[in-house]
Amino acid sequence: MSEFSLIEAHDLAVRYPDGELALYNVNFRISGPTFMAIIGPNGSGKSTLLKTALGMLKPVRGTMRVLGYDTVTEKKYIRREIRYVPQRDRIQLTVPMKVKDIVLMGRLLKKRPPRFASSKDKDLARQALRKVNMDELWNRPFMELSGGQRQRVLVARALASEGSILMLDEPLAGTDAESQSLIVEVLGEYHRENEVSVVMVTHDLNPIHTFVRNVLLLKNTLIGVGTPCDMMDLELLVKVYGPSAKVVEYAGHRYCVTHDVGVDRHD
Amino acid sequence: MIDTIDALLEILSAPFVQRAILGAFLVAIVASTSGTFLVFRGLSFMTSGVAHAALGGAALGLFLQHSGILPWFDPILGALLFSVLVALITGYAGEKGIAEKMEVAVGVSFALSMSIAVLLMYYIPPTQVPQIWGYLIGDILLLNDLDLLLLAETAAILLFLTVLFNKEFVYVSVDMDGATAHGLNTRAYHYLMLITSALAIAFATKAVGAILVYAIMVAPAAASNELIHSVRGVLFSVFVIALLSEMLGLLASFTIQASPSAIAGIIAALSYVIALQIRHFRDRTTDTEIPDSHEIEDLFTIMENGGSEGVHHH
Ligand SMILES: Nc1ncnc2c1ncn2[C@@H]1O[C@H](COP(=O)(O)OP(=O)(O)OP(=O)(O)O)[C@@H](O)[C@H]1O
Ligand SMILES: [Mg+2]
Repeated sequence: MSEFSLIEAHDLAVRYPDGELALYNVNFRISGPTFMAIIGPNGSGKSTLLKTALGMLKPVRGTMRVLGYDTVTEKKYIRREIRYVPQRDRIQLTVPMKVKDIVLMGRLLKKRPPRFASSKDKDLARQALRKVNMDELWNRPFMELSGGQRQRVLVARALASEGSILMLDEPLAGTDAESQSLIVEVLGEYHRENEVSVVMVTHDLNPIHTFVRNVLLLKNTLIGVGTPCDMMDLELLVKVYGPSAKVVEYAGHRYCVTHDVGVDRHD
Repeated sequence: MIDTIDALLEILSAPFVQRAILGAFLVAIVASTSGTFLVFRGLSFMTSGVAHAALGGAALGLFLQHSGILPWFDPILGALLFSVLVALITGYAGEKGIAEKMEVAVGVSFALSMSIAVLLMYYIPPTQVPQIWGYLIGDILLLNDLDLLLLAETAAILLFLTVLFNKEFVYVSVDMDGATAHGLNTRAYHYLMLITSALAIAFATKAVGAILVYAIMVAPAAASNELIHSVRGVLFSVFVIALLSEMLGLLASFTIQASPSAIAGIIAALSYVIALQIRHFRDRTTDTEIPDSHEIEDLFTIMENGGSEGVHHH
């Protein structure tokens, strides 16, 4: 397994059209393949960082590179390697999609029109659904699933697709503890077995801290970068989440208590 | 019985009736290929926005013709220009994939083009004003060959685009960000869909009138979307409902004195109401697998014993 530069940012600043400076002064370099997490409170720029990495937002200052490709001028090479799961509520429910249609989307988007699903595509889609225990819902309307089930199906969409980087924006939001550990374990296993990198945004480091190798802690700028243990540092957490943040140790593991409710804000 | 069949055959042999039937068929194709995707996109309001914009554009065309500024400017050019303008404004507002923003843009361009139409009416010779309104109240029984030809071309282009790009249009509607990130040129498909829909609405409105277009573009798609769980199924069902409503409208117009568009509109709207009823009824009858009382007792025993195995959370 040879190391390469997965994501790097140099003096990165991103501003939304209405003037909000969502990210500034961000510098880091993460080598891949890795399993990394981006954490921080609501509005700290986590989704913004992912969207910038995908070339969907342009930096107002500095640069960002994914796999060595510039996110502005070479985004088409980046997008070939990406499997992206947006925050769940970005999925529109006005279209009659079945579970299989959503999962196949991950494969068909990497093909050329007319994007017919081959039997291999269907096999891989089924396998991906099996990994998240959703294969029985193959023919169910996506709209009729619960929030946590939808989240699993979206993870399956990423697993079924192709590309060396999985980027997931809050795949654990609105899921119960069982779904959380299932999703995290599936992603961890997939990362190990396939040498793909997983980049996930999350509110809560606790369910993933045994799987994750690199953590970025954001609050509109980079507050910390390192291993999960490095991040479970009281001083850092207080800086980001305020004085109520705590670190507790239990059965040999450290847990952070951030009082971060994980409720998402969307515009 | 024989008499009615004879009467029917006689009606069917009239050229204007044959044109009306062909027109109904073509409009059903437009509804299925364009109306469906607009409803998926949450843009059912765009039909009336574009039709009214076409009206404003036609007024502008007549004004330019009669004031001598651009004597060659046909009103239909104005209508098409304004329709595309609505599509572009709407598209620009919705580049990030947010349907609400697009609805607002449709509303604004709707108001703008109606204002332009009313403003220009004062400067157009009064004898020409009815021609502007003609853009809203076309009649399927008065189709001429040019109308049919334009409608046929529109339907053919839409059919072709739908066969080729239905997945892209769906993906842009379902998950714009995800599709972009996986490498799809979402912006191109986003504008392609809106512009072709706008042109189709403008041509269809010119041919059969706005009342029929509103009714046929939105209600059958909305009805099908309530009941059918696959994109292909909805496309097909929209075509069937639209064609059926139009045929019943035509039939009614021969037996009782009534506008075929009005009858077709009422039937199409009813299909939506019925679909809602069926949906409601279905929701109440399915999903009611209530466990037997002894199953619930089993559940309690498991919980009391503290065992969490066997209790699965869904
Ligand atoms: N489309 C937008 N237009 C304007 N400002 C935005 C937009 N999206 C996000 N912002 C602003 O940019 C900042 C960072 O937002 P971002 O969505 O990246 O946060 P986040 O860390 O993902 O938050 P959350 O945990 O709520 O998902 C916030 O202050 C937010 O208000
Ligand atoms: Mg976010």
